[in-house]
Amino acid sequence: MADQKGSKPLMTGYMMSTQLMEVDGCNRCQECMKWCPTFAVRQDRPGITPMYKNARWRELMAKSQSLRAKIFGPKPLTDDEMKVFTEDTYSCTTCGVCGTVCEAGIKTVELWEAMRPNLVKRGDGPVGKQPFFPKLIKGDRNPYMAKQEDRLCWIPKDAKVLDSGDLFYFAGCTAAYRQQALGVATVRILNKLNVDFAMLGKDEWCCASALIRTGQREVMAEHAVHNIDALKDGGAKNVLFACAGCLRNAAVDWPMWYEGYIPYETMPLSVFLREKIRKGEVEYKIPLNYRFTYHDPCHNGRHLMHLKGKDWSFEAPRDVVQSIPGVKFQEMVRNRALQRCCGAGGGVKAGIPDLAMDCAMARVQDATDIQAEVICSTCPFCRLNLIDGRNTAKSPIKMVDIVEMMAASMGLDTTIPENPYTKFQSQDVLVCSPVECKLDTVERKEPGKDLVGEAH
Amino acid sequence: MAFYTLGLTFNLVIFLTVIVLAVWIYGIYFNFKKWGLGSTGYHDQLRNSFWLFLATWIHEAFKDGLWVFLRTVVLDVLLLRRTLARSPVRWVMHMSMFYGFLMLAALSGLGLMIDIVEHFNLLGLSAEAEMAKELLSLPFDIFGYLLLIGATIAVSRRFLLKFVRDNTSAYDAFLIGAVFLITVTGFYAEWMRGNSFLIGNAFEYPIYAPHFALIHTVLAIGLFALILPWSKYIHVIATPMTLLANRGGE
Repeated sequence: MADQKGSKPLMTGYMMSTQLMEVDGCNRCQECMKWCPTFAVRQDRPGITPMYKNARWRELMAKSQSLRAKIFGPKPLTDDEMKVFTEDTYSCTTCGVCGTVCEAGIKTVELWEAMRPNLVKRGDGPVGKQPFFPKLIKGDRNPYMAKQEDRLCWIPKDAKVLDSGDLFYFAGCTAAYRQQALGVATVRILNKLNVDFAMLGKDEWCCASALIRTGQREVMAEHAVHNIDALKDGGAKNVLFACAGCLRNAAVDWPMWYEGYIPYETMPLSVFLREKIRKGEVEYKIPLNYRFTYHDPCHNGRHLMHLKGKDWSFEAPRDVVQSIPGVKFQEMVRNRALQRCCGAGGGVKAGIPDLAMDCAMARVQDATDIQAEVICSTCPFCRLNLIDGRNTAKSPIKMVDIVEMMAASMGLDTTIPENPYTKFQSQDVLVCSPVECKLDTVERKEPGKDLVGEAH
Repeated sequence: MAFYTLGLTFNLVIFLTVIVLAVWIYGIYFNFKKWGLGSTGYHDQLRNSFWLFLATWIHEAFKDGLWVFLRTVVLDVLLLRRTLARSPVRWVMHMSMFYGFLMLAALSGLGLMIDIVEHFNLLGLSAEAEMAKELLSLPFDIFGYLLLIGATIAVSRRFLLKFVRDNTSAYDAFLIGAVFLITVTGFYAEWMRGNSFLIGNAFEYPIYAPHFALIHTVLAIGLFALILPWSKYIHVIATPMTLLANRGGE
């Protein structure tokens, strides 16, 4: 049944002309279907796979752009078909494994992220809680309804953090408000290594990854321009990221919204720390006697490997983990460029949480299959979602960030100072004595408080 | 051999060839114009232009320089590197079909040129043209068998592999079935002429060979010139163009 909205054709404005060609370039080899993490847990919905999405887009576009439409007039799009297509398009974590294996070399992440704003503009998307993103991020400059003035409330009083300098640490909203153990560990390590670094404080705005991923681009420009200008004003020449989502946005997305010169390099914290380890500046004191495996975040891996190289994307974090004494390391079957997404990305955690949960459980199972005790990673959102998946699956596996592992093994005090957000902390932490570290779980004290906390 | 039967004259065939080519070229133009509905860059304004699609494609394809473009042509378009990385069987299948079809199409074009030379006795080369046509029969056979191998693998995969079979749409079945049918009819037409490569005169039936050859030709032209640009089979053009625009996806 066609309705008023149905009289609008499919929008193409946010897609590059070469991307419209890419849709037609899909040769239906089915390779993407074998790797798609969401299809793996939704076998009854092939429509969510790239091959079917491309086919569907072609069909919808043909209603107004085919030869038949040119001769006999366009057909209206119906509510039902647009609803199904929108759900399918948003049931994607934009992990990019389909692009990695695509025979036609289609840049799928960019393609899905270009399709979505067209659906938003037409009034079909986004889905679930995703529509709250722009309002929240524009209103509070973070997705947690937290105060910008509290950005650095977790910094220990004896820590040294500058306001400006060559080197910046961009913590991101999650380390600032929800996984402060990561922020504290980062600051402690950099201080211990006598690295002078600065932070933006209240001038650090959300990287706005959630907006780009879900096709809601309207607030993006403000955040990209503001953050870049703030870093430039602070004199940044190198910016470190311990959050894979922020890093991807800063490295890939922000520059596309900024017209001026960007004088700084963006760098994963793991790369910076690996250099320090190689130079012998890192002194470990306490072994971490667990069986670890590493989960490659999509944003730090596949999304960046063409820009930063596979060494930075995949090997640096592994080198850091394996430098820590006591660590027994084993790879999951799917790793590096072919890793399985945790399920949180692309706005799926907020938009279709049960899908995100099932993907997380599948990834936890990957780790269980190799008898890992701990999954380590460099992405707070992967960690959050994997913890949720772990809890649902009632698995004993723990999740930690590699920076926290380093800080623990270096014997650093990573106690989080009491602050207004202490009650929101939810993570597995390493609790250390002078001779050993034990993994413990800090339960979220106010479950469900976050409206759209899962923003990447 | 009398090819132009069933009322078809040489001039009529040439005329039909021009019509088919015109439809083909318009089909490509139509698709380029459709792709031109997109923008020329990330959140750039819409231009809705055939020419700006071409300009955008050229810009993307040469973004990393001529060397990267040439490397992509060789490794990704001609050698199908990405397919090989995922599935050697599929690579053999694609390579066989790609080169089999491409060479048969090229040989057919060459054959038409030679026909024209022979028909009009251009430069007095009519006799040489006839000899040249005979020389083409072996490469026709070789690349025909290559295409047959590829088409057979493609059809077999769809039948034998459950995952592939379950996700085969009517479009897939039609395209692969049509390629297989065209290949088989081509072989049978050749066999009916007698004295064929590997087969000899086992299927010789020269009276109806031209009729069967005509069926084969109509099917081939129908699929590759009249259906391909107007359907999802445009991927035959769009896939290599995508590989080039994305510098091999790397």
